[in-house]
Amino acid sequence: MMLARVRGTVVASRRADGIGGARYLLVEDCGPDGKGRGEYLVALDMIDAERGQLVMLAQGSSCRWTYRTEDQPMDTLAIGVVDQIDSGGAVLWDEAGRER
Amino acid sequence: MVIARVRGTVVSTHKSPSMEGLRLLLLEKIDPVGLGGKGDFVVAIDSVGANAGEIVFFVTGSSARLTEATKGRPTDATVIAVIDAIEKDGSYTYEKARQE
Repeated sequence: MMLARVRGTVVASRRADGIGGARYLLVEDCGPDGKGRGEYLVALDMIDAERGQLVMLAQGSSCRWTYRTEDQPMDTLAIGVVDQIDSGGAVLWDEAGRER
Repeated sequence: MVIARVRGTVVSTHKSPSMEGLRLLLLEKIDPVGLGGKGDFVVAIDSVGANAGEIVFFVTGSSARLTEATKGRPTDATVIAVIDAIEKDGSYTYEKARQE
């Protein structure tokens, strides 16, 4: 799964998917420290994510393995909010301590 | 899903019979903040009636086959939504209604 920061939302009323109440997030590709890389994607929000949060994205056909997205044309889902990332004894990301 | 602007249509007469009757769009990937084109183009099937100039998002891979228009078709890129608005950090970077 790739890591991304929630930067905003994308609104679209003319759509081909059949997902009722779908909310789309504007997410920015980022490293484990939460620093953005300037590359953006649209992800279906499965977790009521908030702006600024670090999330995990599922991509490709794996995206269809949820009840809401079964047989839907979806290839990017925000499937989990990251609380903390540790690496080599250092905390790279802490949801509780991030800037809001 | 990837954000792009519809730059035009693609016409192909000599093609696999399984590709007949589909509308092909020329898309240019854009930066969703400044809305500038990235010079990166793809051909995608239209499933929502998108027109030149509109900003859309599209799916790739096996997800591209899961719309009414593309079921069973050999496509790996399909436009599934026409974007009305993009919001980043609380303000709009794009509002379709303002451009028209």
